[in-house]
Amino acid sequence: MIECPSCRHQEFVGTIYCSECGTRLVHAGPGPTMAIPRDRVNAEALVTKPAPPEGPELESGALIGLRILNTGDILPLIGRDNFTLGRAIEGQAVIPDIDLGAFNAYDFGVSRMHAEVLLEEDSVYVVDLESANGTLVNGKPLEPQRSVPVRHGDVIQLGRLRMQLVSRYRG
Amino acid sequence: MPGDRDYYALLGVPRNANTDQLRRAYREAALQLHPDRNVRAGDTELFLDIGRAYEVLTDPDRRAAYDQELDASETEAASKSSLRCLVQHSRSALLQLDEPQVHYVLLDILPGESVAPTRPPINVCIVIDRSTSMRGQRLDQVRSATLAILKDLQAADSACIVAFSDRAEVVVSPEQAKDVTVARSRLSLLQAGGGTEIGQGLELGMSELTKTFSREGVNHLILLTDGRTYGDEETCLRIAEAAAEKGITLNGVGIGADWSDRLLDDLASRSGGNVLFLDTPKAVTDLLQRIFDSLGKVFASRVRLEGAFSDEVDLRSTFRLYPDPMPMGDAMPMTLGHLPRDGRIRLLLEVVVHPVSTVGDLILGHFTLSADILGLGAEPQTHPVRLSLPVTKEPEASPPAQEIVAALSQIALYRMQEKARHEAELGQSSQAARRLENLATHLLAADERELARAALSEAERLNHSRRLSTEGEKILKYGTRALLLLPAKTGAP
Repeated sequence: MIECPSCRHQEFVGTIYCSECGTRLVHAGPGPTMAIPRDRVNAEALVTKPAPPEGPELESGALIGLRILNTGDILPLIGRDNFTLGRAIEGQAVIPDIDLGAFNAYDFGVSRMHAEVLLEEDSVYVVDLESANGTLVNGKPLEPQRSVPVRHGDVIQLGRLRMQLVSRYRG
Repeated sequence: MPGDRDYYALLGVPRNANTDQLRRAYREAALQLHPDRNVRAGDTELFLDIGRAYEVLTDPDRRAAYDQELDASETEAASKSSLRCLVQHSRSALLQLDEPQVHYVLLDILPGESVAPTRPPINVCIVIDRSTSMRGQRLDQVRSATLAILKDLQAADSACIVAFSDRAEVVVSPEQAKDVTVARSRLSLLQAGGGTEIGQGLELGMSELTKTFSREGVNHLILLTDGRTYGDEETCLRIAEAAAEKGITLNGVGIGADWSDRLLDDLASRSGGNVLFLDTPKAVTDLLQRIFDSLGKVFASRVRLEGAFSDEVDLRSTFRLYPDPMPMGDAMPMTLGHLPRDGRIRLLLEVVVHPVSTVGDLILGHFTLSADILGLGAEPQTHPVRLSLPVTKEPEASPPAQEIVAALSQIALYRMQEKARHEAELGQSSQAARRLENLATHLLAADERELARAALSEAERLNHSRRLSTEGEKILKYGTRALLLLPAKTGAP
């Protein structure tokens, strides 16, 4: 049997889509990241920025986290001072610190090593790691490999996957 | 083929069946068909054929000779067949594994190389629900849509209009249909009133179609209804099966929110037809015209797949993707309907393969496709389909066939909708609502905003009133089914 990574439902070997939640189980291998037309990425980035969440959302006690906008899940950023974001694939040599696979990262055009979040003394920074579909902060595309400061409530978009920085310090 | 039918298919056993299986299959068939019990014409002949099949297959020498003969005749049939069949597997090899595995097969049935572009004669019967709920716009639209079809008839065509409520009557006979003025005045007499007894309408429609049955042409029944029938579902299904046997295909058109989609699906899938959903009667003219036009493009009708899977293999589900998306069930023989001249019939089979211990070739099953090629005389044409795959130890590195993945991604959405409906019926409304929300996310990702909105509003309804709306059920069911018709947008999800 194989297990669906997103809902843990058991399926027979060879099943291509999870019968429980519709998640694709057999990936097209370590192939290229799915290309999303540029205009679509930009168009979605233009949608108004949601209101920054209030403090109590961070129940986990983390000081800083990323909130996935379409699901509302919060990924805490604790225990280290830099986090790579992307999607893990079996057999891949380097895997990202935060695997976005459970959030349909492939569909949203997230690269395997898409971006990095750096927690530094003065601020939080985001760096695009030369991803296929780019990284946007509040709708503005980032230049690859250049770190950009982000603040509480900023929307970071990897391909078409949108997330919001939540920070207790409003920094 | 020696004799005229495949003995294995006749008994419904796989080609590698052992004596025990043969004996069981023979006993079962004999019990049903024995002259002391049978009622239908032709059963005695079938009984004798089955006896002969059993006799040959249980004698090792005769069976070996028969196998050789069968192989040769199949090769010959394939070489001069007017049908083509292409097979794609989800994986190029099965795994040697001590647990069950799932495998997908995409089957394309196409017309042979040389296809005469002639329009076959059309023999159609439109069966109209004239129950009280059809009053007003619905019946008006249906009336004018029907008249439009009658105006399009060609000399060799035949059409008949039947209406039913608690009883059924012929509104426009085939003779009257040839004269548009007469047909118009006959149709204007059509008044709404009474209940909905679909069985009555089908029965009369079928008997009219049988009178004008055309071996050279397409025989088709279109059922238009907006209500549900009570108590005669069994009759309806029996009629659909008889229709399939004769080569008459049944199309269901449901108008509004209150018809029984499950019954219509069942009727259509048994006869190889399909079901269309109209939320407003306005579209009925276009729809009927489209159905009628497609009938003029039929190359072969009564397309059937018969045969059996090997013991190690179970058919889990079959989905017809083209020409009309439709779940087909898991029973052999399968009636697939009409094969269009410039298109294909495409099936996606999902099978479970039981643990395989040996490396080598595994035969999934032997099948025979048969079809009446229109204009080619009375003999149905056949084409053998042999499904087999190597079994290996190493898992395959290459991704599954793209077309299969694309189709499965759409079917996954259809199945989610089905599951949610099932859960809602069992009273698990919060689980059903969650499932619909998940479906909405997938639909949004596929850019199907309308459908996503429908899924979300049904999810909300479930949270409030614990049930789905009858309209929402149908929008989601036929909406997700129709997604299969779209060309795959991307390689993913």
